[in-house]
Order: sequence, then structure tokens, then C-alpha cells
Amino acid sequence: MSKDSNEEIPKWKQDFPIEQKEATHVSRREFAKFLTLLSGALAVGNTAIVVKSLAFPEKPLEGEHPICMEADVPEGESFQFEIQGSKVIPYLLINLGQGEWRAFEQKCTHLSCAVKYRHDIGQIECPCHKGYFNPRTGDVIQGPPPRPLPQLEVVIREGQVFVKAQTAYIKKL
Amino acid sequence: MSDFRQSQNEAHPNKTNTLMTAIILLLILFVTIQIWFLFGALNNALQENLNFAITTAVGSVIFAVGSFWLLRYLPDPIKRRKKK
Repeated sequence: MSKDSNEEIPKWKQDFPIEQKEATHVSRREFAKFLTLLSGALAVGNTAIVVKSLAFPEKPLEGEHPICMEADVPEGESFQFEIQGSKVIPYLLINLGQGEWRAFEQKCTHLSCAVKYRHDIGQIECPCHKGYFNPRTGDVIQGPPPRPLPQLEVVIREGQVFVKAQTAYIKKL
Repeated sequence: MSDFRQSQNEAHPNKTNTLMTAIILLLILFVTIQIWFLFGALNNALQENLNFAITTAVGSVIFAVGSFWLLRYLPDPIKRRKKK
């Protein structure tokens, strides 16, 4: 016994008979054209980076910003703060002891995880991929981060902690 | 009637295949290098290294133009002769 094939196929399929093989088949010509399109998109993306850097250069931090009182951050501790500029950037203020203070951007230069200061090992640690930075210079000691942490200059005046852009950074610009 | 192209296609059916494979491999090579450039430019632009970003952008555009130029040589599908 054989069923009538027309009974099994719904009517809408009978009206628009497109085989699945035809609908999903990608020919080598189409694949080559897709690769070319991708190549064009990558070129546009690469050019966009240059245009963005030229048209919208990052402005250095202007002026001094009060952060907290000196007594608020004990020796070996860190304090997180944000500065509202053209965009909000989180920073980490570190009291290294003996009057040494440092402020670094809190985003790891690898994949932007939040870094933290570990006084027990005397290093700044990125817990995501175990990147370690020098807490005095911000240089990479170990791990995947490609660049040092951006640093701010810390000024202590009358028991209050201020930060400002590093003098060397301003000169470079 | 058959023309020269038709005779060539029938005499050397692998030619189209080889050409197509070569073009696709070249395109994959171009795209891979461009991804490498883009990755490098992103990392270096963040470090205020504009020269690297400009160099890779120029290189990437050259590769893109090369990719579009390669499409000129994309062989047409061999059409089977209709049976009479």
C-alpha cells in the first residue's frame, strides 16, 4: 500500500516548492564573495580606528581631583574611586607605606578585568588571568597583560589626597 | 555550436576547480592577515601608537582591494549543455 504523496505535503509547500538543498546550499562562488565582503569590512574597521584616534583624541585629565583624606586609607590598603571626564574611568589608589602613594587605572590592560592590590605579595593582581603589575611603576611583571597600567600622579596636601595627570604624560601629548 | 570556452571547459574540467580553490585560499590568507592587523592596531592604538594603526589600516585596505580584484578571476560555473 502506498499513500498518495500529495496528501503528505502541506498545501503551502505545494504552492512554493523550494527544496531544502537549494535553500541551504552555499556555492564556492558565494563563499568567495562572502570572504571578499569580510575583507572589506575588516579594512573599514581598521580605518575606523585611525579616524577615531585622529578625530577624537583622548584628552588628558585636567587639574587636581580630591579623592579622600590621607587617614582614610591605612598602609598597605587600597581605595577605589572614579573620575568623571569624557567618560567615567575607575582608578585604584594605593598606600604603599612610608608616604608612598600610587594611583592606577583599575582596568587590566588585558581584558579590562578589575585589578586589586595585594599587600601580602606586594603586587597588583588581575584575578581573571593571573596578571601581575608592579605597584610602584604599573609595569607588567607576569601574565598576559600587554601594557602597563595607566598611572596618575598622587599629591598629598594638608592631609588630603589629590590626583592629577602625570607630568610626563602631558609632556608627551 | 560550441565555442572555444566550451571546448576548454570540457577538455580541462579541473581548471575551474583549481582556480576556484586558489582564489578561496588567497582570500582566506588575506582575511587572516587583516584580522592580525586589526588585532595589532587595536592594541597599539590604545597605547597611543598611531603610526602602527595607520600602517595596518593602509595594509588592510590594500588587501581588501586585492580581494575585490581577485573576484575578476572567479570562474563562471560550467553550464551543462542542454539536451536536445
